Amino acid sequence: MKKYFRELSVTAALLLVLLLLAVVAPAFFQPQPLLSLVTREAPTLVVACGMALVIICRQIDISVGSVFSVCSVAAGLLAAHGWPLPLVILASAALGALLGSVNGGLVAGLRLPSIVVTLATMVTLRQGLNLVRQGEFVNLPDRVQWFGLSQAAGQWTLVVLALAVLVALGLAMRHLAAGRQVYAVGTNAEAARLAGIPPQRVTFLVFVFLGALTGLAAVMNIVQSPQVQPLSGAGLELKVIAAVVVGGVAISGGRGNLWGAFAGLLLLACVSPALTHLHIEAYWEKAIQGAIILLAVVADGIRQRRGE
Amino acid sequence: MKSLLLRLGLCAGLFAASFVGLSAADSGLIIALMPKAKGNAYFLSVKKGADKAARELGVELRFDGPTDTNAAKQNEIVENWITLGVDVIAVAAENKEGISTALRKAQKAGIKVLTYDADALPDARSFFVNQATPEGIGYGLMDEAARLLNNEGEFAIITATLTAANQREWMKHIEARLAATYPKMKLVAVRPCDDLKDRAQSEATALMSAHPNLKLIMAICTPGVPGAAEAVKQAGKAGQVKVIGLGLPNENKRYVHEGVTDGIILWNTEDLGYLTVYAGAALAKGDLKPGAKTFKAGTLGTFEIKGDNILLGKPFVFNKGNIDQFDF
Amino acid sequence: MSIAGKKLTGSAPAEPRPSGSWALQLLFRHETLLLLVLVVEWLLFYHYGTTTNRRGLVVGFGTLDRQFDILRHSCEIGLLALALTPIILTAGIDLSVGSLLGLCAILFGKLWHDGGLSIATAASLTLVIGAGAGGLNATLITALRLPPLIVTLGTYSLFRGLAEAITHGAVTYTDFPDSFLFLGQERWLGLPTQAWLFLLVAVAMWLLVHRTVFGRSFRAIGFSPEGARYAGLPVERRVALGYVLAGLIAALAAIIYTARLGQAKADAGTGYELFAITAVVLGGTSIFGGTGSITGTLLGVAAIAVLRSGLATLPVVLRLNAAEEMSGLLTGALLIVALAGSVLPKILSSLGARRQAG
Repeated sequence: MKKYFRELSVTAALLLVLLLLAVVAPAFFQPQPLLSLVTREAPTLVVACGMALVIICRQIDISVGSVFSVCSVAAGLLAAHGWPLPLVILASAALGALLGSVNGGLVAGLRLPSIVVTLATMVTLRQGLNLVRQGEFVNLPDRVQWFGLSQAAGQWTLVVLALAVLVALGLAMRHLAAGRQVYAVGTNAEAARLAGIPPQRVTFLVFVFLGALTGLAAVMNIVQSPQVQPLSGAGLELKVIAAVVVGGVAISGGRGNLWGAFAGLLLLACVSPALTHLHIEAYWEKAIQGAIILLAVVADGIRQRRGE
Repeated sequence: MKSLLLRLGLCAGLFAASFVGLSAADSGLIIALMPKAKGNAYFLSVKKGADKAARELGVELRFDGPTDTNAAKQNEIVENWITLGVDVIAVAAENKEGISTALRKAQKAGIKVLTYDADALPDARSFFVNQATPEGIGYGLMDEAARLLNNEGEFAIITATLTAANQREWMKHIEARLAATYPKMKLVAVRPCDDLKDRAQSEATALMSAHPNLKLIMAICTPGVPGAAEAVKQAGKAGQVKVIGLGLPNENKRYVHEGVTDGIILWNTEDLGYLTVYAGAALAKGDLKPGAKTFKAGTLGTFEIKGDNILLGKPFVFNKGNIDQFDF
Repeated sequence: MSIAGKKLTGSAPAEPRPSGSWALQLLFRHETLLLLVLVVEWLLFYHYGTTTNRRGLVVGFGTLDRQFDILRHSCEIGLLALALTPIILTAGIDLSVGSLLGLCAILFGKLWHDGGLSIATAASLTLVIGAGAGGLNATLITALRLPPLIVTLGTYSLFRGLAEAITHGAVTYTDFPDSFLFLGQERWLGLPTQAWLFLLVAVAMWLLVHRTVFGRSFRAIGFSPEGARYAGLPVERRVALGYVLAGLIAALAAIIYTARLGQAKADAGTGYELFAITAVVLGGTSIFGGTGSITGTLLGVAAIAVLRSGLATLPVVLRLNAAEEMSGLLTGALLIVALAGSVLPKILSSLGARRQAG
């Protein structure tokens, strides 16, 4: 029980917000709009899962927003050129993995600090995309939306897909050797190396993995509307990192899990629609989100001090 | 040493690549045109019209601006242009007061200054190419909303960011018109979408579930309109919740035809670019002087000048009947 | 050459080196390489970015006006980079400086405009508020031992959010008196007025970091916090000071920003933290802490500023109209190359060592 205190407290906070909404604004829980809102967050969840791995491995990737934008535009263009959707998904994930391997190569191969490397790739990719696309929308053929399914089926597919990624990764992190290796490297790379785990390879692979998931998430996003805006990933990195950290994944590596990240994402994703439902003016939103992040880390800090 | 060599190689490569575009023509006028943000579809279509005018006039057009709306960057670019000695600077001001200091400096340096789309302070420029007054836009949107709802019901606004200057100005007039003329209508929420279509879609979804009596969503930034329309379509509320806004025909055609979006209001953005370049060239050549009452711009004909505002004409309502005639 | 010349008045800090020729050591210093890059960059822009226009005027990169513009435009980001250097030396980071700039700018405007205070009083209060906001970061980071990345990610949202909440995003403070705008828009003793403040802060920071026992402790802490603690350094207090100082300097940057644009608005300084961090890292300060210098940071700021503005002057000469994107692209690329360059010798030597051992 004590071990999962952090995850449980975030879940409790989330339940509290939901309870408040249930009392004050029950309209929030109408099934159809709620499904739509959840579907909108499905791609974010997939990216957050990858980010949790990277942070558990004691790294960080702030280029995900740019990678997301590049993959969205590339996938949109391929779809518009008549590629079948399964191929588009593969190509997008492969492109994401390729971009992730650039980050991973620089971080693991050259042992450079990930925050600076991904800062550089974030700027480079974003401005490169601006240079090439000049902000122009990509129009998608009709067959792309909802994978060609009905809207409800498409929305459920996306939600189930995102949850499947979460559950698979969540279980893998706990029960598979590869998952344990990520924790080992994040806790103490040198000790991991002595125990026979190649820390550089693990680090490289988590970046590639995050890239591939981001590519997948990009497709999960573009199927939700008939046009792709090149800006689409702007600000995604902060949203995802905040969700993962609020969910109890320690930025110092080795601690936390995906269930917590999931709860953290839901909590932060709730803020904006909750404000709308509670009829609170929009200009408080950023301040509230900042306060939630600070509250979560302060709670961490106080608990740690007590533990000492 | 290796890093140095790499860096040198980088620089050399850049310059080699840049030379491809080098040309010797240094005769005609140089007109510098600045959008609020370069990647925006709205300003891309302004540039289309400006390019056309530049070709007709044989002047050289510089189109540069911040990649996202940023008042400080606009000033830097104007100051770049001053030291470069362009002949005319035409700016869509992100921030009225902020840009004016830089524009006054340009005037002092003998450069003719125009504003278009969004004005600076009057003493910082010669003319403002006025596509529609903020009042015209605000009243136009509010009147169209009232017409669609028979003067009664709840509506919400999706804006760009809470700090965007143009949107603030329009909202002021929307709210004034609402208070003065339509007592039975109610503005229930204003939500920002950061100029992101995806976020507008999420916001519109939340708005509809939070306000079951919502009858209309008004999106006052271009990415907001297709975003809101997609949300309404997915909620199965096409017709029940109406969508109007300021948008570009091409991004909204499908929703207008599907009956989701009822109408978008916009001036002809290509004409705006065309007229601005013509006015700039005439100003530099001395053909356009303060006090003029009319101005003739190439193939578009004659425009009225009111004070120091060159008027593009009334905003246009695009709907099912006419939207296919436009391609921008 | 004015910009580089001005910023290089301080000599490189003398650090004892264990072995090797002194001249060779100096040549391979990060600062020396960066200075070379800066000079080459400057000369290339001078050569290709300057031209004579139809009116017979020399225009473009090589004009004195242009050089002053570069200096004027790099003051705020330069100040933030200076503020970040000691923090990064202690292996910390502060993502909130850009947002704090925005918050301070509107508070300054509000105090003056709505509060009816004089410019001087409002500015002093703003500096106190900035230091206080830095103190919030400092408290969370040192008293609760929280990771600076996450704390300042939180305050990054919080400060910007407060700025928006206070102004409802809408209020813009303008109509500042000319005597105040002089600070941001005119020249004093030949240089842009704010450049004097920037130089003052730069010299003060250089003295603090490189010439006082106090400042050297930043590097000691970054190198090994435990070691510093055993050596009797008050680690928490020194680290806290770095963040308070950053808040204070961000407030100063906010005042200069307001004077330069003649307006205070909630979006002031958006994205500046990235430019500032880039400049510091490009200047050779290790993000892991322990090594780096103020001189390096100044060179990093200059390299980025010259690149940005050099590319912006190319259009008239080379008809290249994507200066914004190109400068972003090249800054990113330059950062990667600089980073790779900084570790390459280490990796090569470790490979060599492994081969010898094997």
